Amino acid sequence: MANPRDTKDNPDAKLGDISSRLKDLGGRIEAEKSQTTAGTQSSMKYQGASDYSKGYRLASEFVAGVLVGGLVGFGVDKLFGTLPLFLIVFLLLGFGAGILNMSRSANRTPPTAEELRNMPKPNDDDDEDK
Amino acid sequence: MANDPIHQFRLHDLVGPVNIAGYEISFTNSALFMGIIVATITGILLLSARKGALVPGRLQLVGEMWYGLVDNMVTSIMGEDGKKFFPFVFSIFSFVLMANLIGLFPYFFTVTSHVIITEAMAFFIIGLVVVVGITKHGLGWFKLFVPHGVPMVILPFISLIEIISFLSRPLSLGLRLFGNMLAGHIVLKVFAGFVVTLSALGFGGVLGSILPLGMTVALTALEFLVAFLQAFVFATLACVYLNDALHPGH
Repeated sequence: MANPRDTKDNPDAKLGDISSRLKDLGGRIEAEKSQTTAGTQSSMKYQGASDYSKGYRLASEFVAGVLVGGLVGFGVDKLFGTLPLFLIVFLLLGFGAGILNMSRSANRTPPTAEELRNMPKPNDDDDEDK
Repeated sequence: MANDPIHQFRLHDLVGPVNIAGYEISFTNSALFMGIIVATITGILLLSARKGALVPGRLQLVGEMWYGLVDNMVTSIMGEDGKKFFPFVFSIFSFVLMANLIGLFPYFFTVTSHVIITEAMAFFIIGLVVVVGITKHGLGWFKLFVPHGVPMVILPFISLIEIISFLSRPLSLGLRLFGNMLAGHIVLKVFAGFVVTLSALGFGGVLGSILPLGMTVALTALEFLVAFLQAFVFATLACVYLNDALHPGH
């Protein structure tokens, strides 16, 4: 992999001194990086297409929180025979947990995007799957 | 039957009911398709790895991207020591992806459209999180439920909310995949049913049925996106939850 670069490099940087070649290489890496970010731009479009799934995810997090809270409350009530009391308390707590879940998962979405950004090769794969 | 959108999810025995110790463990169409899924995954991966060429061909590229996608997901979420879970996450991702994709073929059964399958996987993941967390960090793992920097007065409430939030994870994880697959397939069937019903009305109906037909085609494309996306989301969240087992600090 280094060989074709060198042969391409030598006529390019005729001076032959190492620092200019290094600079050249740095520039090339920079160019490659900007190309990768261009790829990321297209995967941002992919992000836009997945808004539907993001919304669905948030909704399901919230509903699951309330459901589990209600279930736990109902279970506690069944145990102690205090039917409406803990159901109400835990429903409210579950409401809180649902909000917590939702805000967490909304904050977590960046990692998913970052992860798409972090993969130079699988990025193309994502575009393909779009 | 052609217009019954629920019929596609019906389970039926393929070799007759088998009962062992009071439990029915018949070989159903769901089990058959699970076998097909596993065979397909194994087949594709074995075929793609067969040559091992330095410059990959098309099939080998598919295998490498498949691997690379999950590898990136695992390392970017869990870090280097999350590599131990790579086989697990890869299996989960492959199974869900292949189940979703195979389910898109007409007359094929969608394994992930049954809540028992998705919830079983979700509860297994959360159970694994608890077991790994406790074996790795001992009782210190339970600090996950006690966020620091919270005043003592409201700490019990906060940790109660955290516990409920943790318990709701498997539910939302499994319900999301199940809901997406079920809803997508029902909508697809309903719109396709419109085509049949409308075109029975005569010439005008046939003309009118172009609309739901176009919708069905568009929805099929959307379903392919959803099939991939849901598998990706399922695996990503599995990684995020397993990360809590490895690094409960945050």
